[in-house]
Amino acid sequence: MSIYSTGKNIISLFYALEKAVQVYDLRNDVVTGTAKKFGHILRTLLNIYPQVELVRYREYVFFNKQRLRFEIDGYASLQFIHDKMKQLRIRSLIILPGINEEELILLCLALKKNRDEFPSEFNAKRFAYVRIEYTDAEEETPDFLADGQRVKRIYFKALKVTKNLMNNLWKNQSVDVKSSKRVVHSLVNALSQDEFGLLALTAIKNFDEYTYNHSLNVGILALALAQRIGFSKKSLAKIGTAGILHDIGKVSIPRDLIYKPTRLSEQEWDILKHHSEYGVKQIIKTRGLDETGITSLIVAYQHHWNYDFSGYPFHGKETLQSTFAKIVRICDSYDAMTTARIYQPVPYIPSIAIRVIWKLSGQCFDPLLAKVFIQLLGLYPIGSCLEMSDSFVGLVIGQNEGYPTQPTVKIVATMQKDSIDGPIIDLSVDKGHKIIRAVYPQQYNINPADHLT
Amino acid sequence: MEIIVQDIIRQLIKSIKVIQLYGINHPSARQSYQPFFETLTGFLKNSGQIELAIEQYSISHDNQVIYQEREKDISIAFRLFRDGVRNIKITDGLEFDEMILFLEVMSQATREQDIALNLWECNFSHIDFYVIEEEDEDLNYELPVQEIKNIDLNAKLANIIVKEKLDMNEPIDLTLSEAELESLKTQMAHESREASLSVAISTLINFLQHDKSPEIIDSLTEMLAQCIDQHEFYNARLIVVSLNEYAKINAIDKYEKENIILDFKNFINTISDENLNQFLAFISLFSKKSLSYFIRLMPSVQRTERLEKLQDNVAYIAQSDYQPILIFLQSNNTDLIINTIAVLSRLDAEEIVGLLDPLCDYPRPEVRCSVIQAFEVFKQAARIAHFIGDEEAMVRIKAFQTLTVLNYPAIYNRLIARIKSRVFIDLELTEQKETFNCLVANGGQGLIKILKKMLFRWVLFGRKRYRITRKLAASALADINTDESRAILEQGMKKRNPTVKQACESALKQ
Ligand SMILES: [Fe+2]
Ligand SMILES: [Fe+2]
Repeated sequence: MSIYSTGKNIISLFYALEKAVQVYDLRNDVVTGTAKKFGHILRTLLNIYPQVELVRYREYVFFNKQRLRFEIDGYASLQFIHDKMKQLRIRSLIILPGINEEELILLCLALKKNRDEFPSEFNAKRFAYVRIEYTDAEEETPDFLADGQRVKRIYFKALKVTKNLMNNLWKNQSVDVKSSKRVVHSLVNALSQDEFGLLALTAIKNFDEYTYNHSLNVGILALALAQRIGFSKKSLAKIGTAGILHDIGKVSIPRDLIYKPTRLSEQEWDILKHHSEYGVKQIIKTRGLDETGITSLIVAYQHHWNYDFSGYPFHGKETLQSTFAKIVRICDSYDAMTTARIYQPVPYIPSIAIRVIWKLSGQCFDPLLAKVFIQLLGLYPIGSCLEMSDSFVGLVIGQNEGYPTQPTVKIVATMQKDSIDGPIIDLSVDKGHKIIRAVYPQQYNINPADHLT
Repeated sequence: MEIIVQDIIRQLIKSIKVIQLYGINHPSARQSYQPFFETLTGFLKNSGQIELAIEQYSISHDNQVIYQEREKDISIAFRLFRDGVRNIKITDGLEFDEMILFLEVMSQATREQDIALNLWECNFSHIDFYVIEEEDEDLNYELPVQEIKNIDLNAKLANIIVKEKLDMNEPIDLTLSEAELESLKTQMAHESREASLSVAISTLINFLQHDKSPEIIDSLTEMLAQCIDQHEFYNARLIVVSLNEYAKINAIDKYEKENIILDFKNFINTISDENLNQFLAFISLFSKKSLSYFIRLMPSVQRTERLEKLQDNVAYIAQSDYQPILIFLQSNNTDLIINTIAVLSRLDAEEIVGLLDPLCDYPRPEVRCSVIQAFEVFKQAARIAHFIGDEEAMVRIKAFQTLTVLNYPAIYNRLIARIKSRVFIDLELTEQKETFNCLVANGGQGLIKILKKMLFRWVLFGRKRYRITRKLAASALADINTDESRAILEQGMKKRNPTVKQACESALKQ
């Protein structure tokens, strides 16, 4: 079993024991049986690892440094453990070799206590094989994530590779397929370590020309969404590549049309719409027809197809849209809506774009994937600028799993447009603060990029 | 310990080489990776893990070089090093499938393959590896400043909300029901490699209708190769037909080669029925050039119904011109002759009969039988009738069976004579039965009377031996199954002679 699936297993047994302790007498078979299973798997692990460690950080739970994903399977148990740790301000829970069923049951009993009682209860029991570290007011980054620059480096590297790739195609020069594969590989790794960090970078936009930045952002959003619904690594590599390449056909369209500063005429639109078909040919040329190439080809061709069979290129109902293309369809629309372009100088703010996705789900977008997408980004995605009930202005810097309307914000300005270095507030815990509405950050002279990197 | 580790490396290198030569499924590959797996897991059980450090041309364990190869094209170390892999760690618990996957990746030696990436995609549970990151010189992107000038953003916001008809306070329910989760999983399950390939193919075929550029044609040709390689004959057929229809390209030509067609034997016995049908539809696109190769493929087909289907399809190819296979009629190989006859017999061409005449005396009875079968198709009862005097029982039986089906009353008197003859009693039961069946099928008006005679009155050669004739006659009467024949049998039931009684009784039961 991989460390990842072991982690999920641990979480589900932990959850089962916690539940059992709540419901049954401690001598009940359900309690002892679950404790036995839990103990067994822990001891097996402790043969290999010096300790078993669960860390909660920024809405994630890490099991021995591996982030556990909120996926379809095991969602409830992970959510429960996460919330428990958050509520009791537990930063890390460490289990040491020697652990026995008795201590596991005692631990689960202690966890029933509330935030104020828990520490003394825990100390009173004098655990020999369980250690707990608490979160300070300000969350510190766990050591293994301390290098926050890493994600940024990966993002910029990916941007550069995307740019080179498209540029070379534009100039009809050969492309470096290997480095573009590598980039997707490192994006997947980065995503599993710091999803927020990476998503925050997609929220900044316009580091470079629209087409490059957009292509990469769509790739990253698609990866994040695919990871949520449990894609294998191989499929992740496919969707990441396909996302980055979805608009590759634009390199076959005259540059002055792509960069035309005014609204496009009907005829010009028709030309632009051919980028789906051109994309197929570009991918054949550059990527060849291995599995990733084939997926990319399909996505390039189908990424403007709609759930209700409308969209271009025209298609009958006999060919179903591939899930890969459905994912890219959503991410593409979202990123396009939220990015400023020459003929769209004022983009949609993220929370409006999210509402549009919701509204058009079932029409343009697969309704299930749209739901997962909104679960991923929340109703106020990272980078959103919010007017708060206490007349401060906050910038969303993180999502809270399971609380799509209650993100974590950093207070960055007052309603009087004075910028301040305010506190970070988790709205899912700190119920005293309410969101009034989402606005353009420029209205308060805020540049989200200053706070998100 | 070093000796075992060196052994492991030696077996690893050997397995990789064999896989590169023969492919992972070949028996000799299995012979080399099976012991590798055993040695490796045995080692892991004791030591928990094995950690290998990769240098440019060598692999070390515990700071000792255990492998060295400076020839870049064959050096495993170099291949790993080139792609940035610096360390590989295998831990106890390694599963067989993991090892297979690992060996498969390691044996992909081409320059385009990125081993680090391929290993990573495998998502191993018990194999860990460390890949260096390429450091990039200048990755400085300025933070973009987002200036919006002279626009009333509040109004803009309000505008957008109105334009999109949004209610910003409408609650959004993001819970996924069980059924929705299930449907999401099914959707994902449908994204198989095969499904993607099909979609890509139909997309490119769509293109082909208005775009006959070399990229499209080459891609379809490449996909055709993939399809054939992976036994996806539905798509293979689609590609060939489309290339022909829209681009006037003969894509099948390349595959009408002896070795390719003979290699079909590797799967023709094992693929599913559905896939076999797709395969047969696909080969009906082949030309007469391939006819002789298909005839030579036939002896490898083990299941009769599959062989017959193949013969049908090959006959379809031979329709326009069967000359290329006539040569096999002179072959020394009985299998080839028989299959050729089978194919010829499926052709709608009377002159085939004449071509088969010389084979009526062919020494091997199997060949004579297949000639009879072919004659049956062409309704050549008179020709078949010659075979009832054949020296081989199996040929005679075949002839009787065929004449039973064909209805050839001219044979009637000869059959009666045969049954009355002395030798008849000594024949195998099967032949006796088939003779009577043939008699019933071709019998004239006097048949019932003769059968009645055989049943009641015939005194042949000694008591014991005519019991069988009585039985056969009774059973023939039952087969005729008219009022008259049944009355005779019922009459027989009342006879005192026990053999008559028994014969009638069992005939009535049937
Ligand atoms: Fe597009
Ligand atoms: Fe796009």
